[in-house]
Amino acid sequence: MIETKSGPGQERRSGNWLQIVAIGRNPKTTLIRAAVLAVVFVVVFKWMLLPVRVQGISMTPTYADHSFHFVNRLTYLWSPPKRGDVVGIRLTPPQGLSAPHIMYFKRIVGLPGESISFASGRVLVDGQPLDEPYEKGPCDWNTDAVTLGADEYFVVGDNRSMAKEEHVFGRAERNRIVGKALL
Amino acid sequence: MKWPRVILLAVVVALGAWAWVALHPGPERLIRRRLDKIAQAASFGPNQGYLAKLSGAQSLADFCATNIDVNIDIPGRQEHRLAGREDVQQAALALRASVAGVTVTFPDATVVVNADKESAVADLTVEGHVAGEHDMIVQEVKLTLQKIDGQWLIVKAETVRTLK
Repeated sequence: MIETKSGPGQERRSGNWLQIVAIGRNPKTTLIRAAVLAVVFVVVFKWMLLPVRVQGISMTPTYADHSFHFVNRLTYLWSPPKRGDVVGIRLTPPQGLSAPHIMYFKRIVGLPGESISFASGRVLVDGQPLDEPYEKGPCDWNTDAVTLGADEYFVVGDNRSMAKEEHVFGRAERNRIVGKALL
Repeated sequence: MKWPRVILLAVVVALGAWAWVALHPGPERLIRRRLDKIAQAASFGPNQGYLAKLSGAQSLADFCATNIDVNIDIPGRQEHRLAGREDVQQAALALRASVAGVTVTFPDATVVVNADKESAVADLTVEGHVAGEHDMIVQEVKLTLQKIDGQWLIVKAETVRTLK
C-alpha cells in the first residue's frame, strides 16, 4: 500500500507552520517580545529621538524642505550645546517631560555671553568673522550687535539668501533647545 | 482577603478615582478643553454663506471677555491691535471673507493656573493652514484667561517672539 502525503497529519503540519510564522513557537513569549518592542518604540520615538519633517527653506541647502530627520533629546543632558550644532527649538516653554510637536530647526552661531552681529552677510562673534562652511548663498544682512545672556544661544538658519525679514532668527533660551539634529 | 478580591478592589478604586477626575476636572483641564474649542471656532471651511460666517465669527468672539485686548506683532508683517469683543468678531468676519478656509490647531500648549484659581496664562504654539497655501503658519501666542461668571474667557491675547 502506498501512503500519500496529504491527510490529517499534513494539515496539522501546515497549521503549525502558519502558527509559527504568525505568532511563533511560543505565543506567550511572542506576546511579551511584542509588548517590550512596542514600549521601547514608544519611549525612544516619543521622548528621546523625535522624528521631524522640515517645512520651509530657512535651513537649505543643509536640510531641504520636506526632508525627514530626528532630534536627539539626550545630546545635551551631559554637555551644553556647541557652536555649529543644528538644534530643534520649541516655541512654547517646557512643561514636564513632554516633547513638542512643532520646533524651529536652526544652527547655533553664538554662545552665552558672546556678542553677535551681522555685517555684510557675515556673522561676527565678539567682532570677529565666523567661518561658516555650510553657508552657501549670497547674503547682505546687517544687524546691530546683541550680547547674549548667561542662558542664551544665538540661532539662525543656513539659508541667508532669503530676506532678513522673512527669516526667523535670534536669541533662544537654553530651556527651549530640545536637542540636536541627527542625520 | 484572597488575591482576586484585592485585585477587584484595586480596579474598583482606580475606576472610582478615574470617574472622580473625569467628572470634576481641575482648572487646567477645563482650560485645555476650552483651547480645543477655540481652535475649532477659529477654523472654517470653504463655501460658507454669510450667515455661517457671521455665526462662526460670533462663536469665536464668545470665548473672549468684553474688554479683550489683542496684539498681533509678527516680524515682517503689519502690527494689529484689537480692543474689545466686537473688534475680534469684526476681524474674524473679515478673515472669513478674505480667505477660502483656515484650519487652526494648538499642538503644544503650556497652561499655568494662578494661585487664585481665577486667572491663568496659556502659552500656545498656533499652527494654521490657509486653504490653497503651501506653507503652514506657526506662531507662539500667549493668552491670559480669567474666570468670569464661571467661564474661562480670554482677556488678553498677544503674539510672542520665540527667538528674540
